[in-house]
Amino acid sequence: MNINPDEIFDTTSFNVDREPHIVLDTEICKKCDQRACVNACPARCYTWSEEDGKMTFVHDGCLECGTCYVVCARDAFTRWRYPRGGFGVSYRMT
Amino acid sequence: MKQSFDAIVVGAGPAGSSAALTMARAGLKVALLERGDFPGEKNMFGGVLHRLTALEEAFPDFWNQAPLERHIVKKSLTFMTGESSFNVNFDTEASDRPPYNGYTIYRPRFDRWLAEEAVKAGATLLTRSTVDDVVIEKGKVVGVTMLRDGAELRAPVVIAADGVLSFTAKKAGLRRPKFDPSHQAVGVKAMVDLPKEVIDDRFGLVRDQGASNEIVGCTEGVRGGGYLYTNYDSLSIGLVLHLSSLSQSGKTPYDLLNAFMKQPQMAKMLRGGRLLEYSAHLVPEGGYEMMPEIVGDGILVAGDAAAMCIVTGLNLEGINLATQSGVLAGKAAVEAHAKKDFSRAGLAVYRRMLEESYVLKDLKLYRRTPGMLHNDRIYSQYPEMVCGLMDEIYRIDGAPKDTMTKVLLRAAREKVGLKNLLADVYSGWRAL
Ligand SMILES: Cc1cc2nc3c(=O)[nH]c(=O)nc-3n(C[C@H](O)[C@H](O)[C@H](O)COP(=O)(O)OP(=O)(O)OC[C@H]3O[C@@H](n4cnc5c(N)ncnc54)[C@H](O)[C@@H]3O)c2cc1C
Ligand code: SF4
Ligand code: SF4
Repeated sequence: MNINPDEIFDTTSFNVDREPHIVLDTEICKKCDQRACVNACPARCYTWSEEDGKMTFVHDGCLECGTCYVVCARDAFTRWRYPRGGFGVSYRMT
Repeated sequence: MKQSFDAIVVGAGPAGSSAALTMARAGLKVALLERGDFPGEKNMFGGVLHRLTALEEAFPDFWNQAPLERHIVKKSLTFMTGESSFNVNFDTEASDRPPYNGYTIYRPRFDRWLAEEAVKAGATLLTRSTVDDVVIEKGKVVGVTMLRDGAELRAPVVIAADGVLSFTAKKAGLRRPKFDPSHQAVGVKAMVDLPKEVIDDRFGLVRDQGASNEIVGCTEGVRGGGYLYTNYDSLSIGLVLHLSSLSQSGKTPYDLLNAFMKQPQMAKMLRGGRLLEYSAHLVPEGGYEMMPEIVGDGILVAGDAAAMCIVTGLNLEGINLATQSGVLAGKAAVEAHAKKDFSRAGLAVYRRMLEESYVLKDLKLYRRTPGMLHNDRIYSQYPEMVCGLMDEIYRIDGAPKDTMTKVLLRAAREKVGLKNLLADVYSGWRAL
């Protein structure tokens, strides 16, 4: 048994909203010295590329846990809210 | 569109539904707003529902009505290293008869049931309704707006029961805009499918009996712990990781959880199981020290939104406090209606009722525990000390044995340091 966040859609249901509920100012991330979001996000939504010096954020498999909201020391979010009603993660038996 | 109610509850988790149920039963016109498709859709937790005295008053035969999995008769605490574990068990017949002392549950089922009971009592449940903002007039909260269509709902009192991040309390100016990562932990969990008979055999259970197991030392030095709970025909296994420590460690929650599930003693319990669902959620484990203001003009805050959670390492209590505070917030709103006073002073009865209940008493009692748990030694050195000690006591390898005292002192000195041990025992004593 193994949890692979890249295959999160196999084990957790989502009704993905096209409009992202979290929007990141990636310019702020460039100057960040901690990038706690990258390792702490349980769904691996944040990817930092050292080569390109670029942060990529994908909201599709977001579990709406709030970890990134709390660990980001630079408040890099231009938006952080829950998805619109009816969208986002859908737990069935947890 | 503008609609008016006697009270608005934001969030149909245990706190919100308990508040709505209480007010609806008292005859108020209540709106219960939930962002999920159904109540519970967004909610996960470790898995143990402690006895809910607040709900036993509302439902005299609670355990026959609520959708529960197993009742807990066996509680254990495990100290774990990469290859060994030392287990302390508490098994009691007293927990095997009503009123049971705790159950395992699924949140999507339990929360939905409780919200439906509020609806049966007369509350209006509006799902797919993410609250966006509070409406403030003359310094008083008088309603909320919705994200999807900007609809506005009005009521003289709003109860913020929207969970750990409580944007409602934030927008009403009751909580600090930024959280301290050392006050929050993230919980991750895997649901594992296993037949009932296999679970009964492995855990030594019969009928609907259940077991709960808290584990220390399974987080590769990150502050936090693990849990393993039995549902009727599945297991809940997961970790709770303190955010400041997790951030600094550079480790990921899923790698830690995968390693935990592969630890040999854990792997044996999970053998043959299939992964059903992976989930994550925050725990406001700063407790009393991180509580926001819980009463404002036209607004009350209950449950996780008010950081009413107690984490001791032996237990994680949240739902019992959420339902109790929800009921009391509901009662306070009913009293405010009787007096037609929804000011901060008029609603302050909520705080007084909480002070008299176990909610604030327990939160205050355990206020030092989160600090004590910020001691890194607990998460690797102590489990290693305990397991190392047991290994030495049980191992027979032809070498002559030392006295127990010598073995103990040596293990303590090597793994923890005697000074540290004394300091930790002292701070642990004060915190628990
Ligand atoms: C990993 C983990 C393990 C835990 N283990 C246990 C345990 O074993 N036992 C225990 O008793 N407790 C446990 N807890 C704690 C427990 O889950 C919480 O204390 C409890 O759920 C709090 O209830 P609540 O109603 O206050 O908040 P929640 O259950 O979080 O409910 C809040 C509700 O509000 C909704 N909502 C949020 N924002 C909005 C909005 N803007 N508009 C509309 N709706 C909104 C959410 O969808 C949700 O339904 C655990 C928690 C975690 C994360
Ligand atoms: S912690 Fe915040 S600023 Fe730093 S990389 Fe992550 S999101 Fe960007
Ligand atoms: S809310 Fe949780 S799952 Fe979603 S991006 Fe942030 S850390 Fe990742």
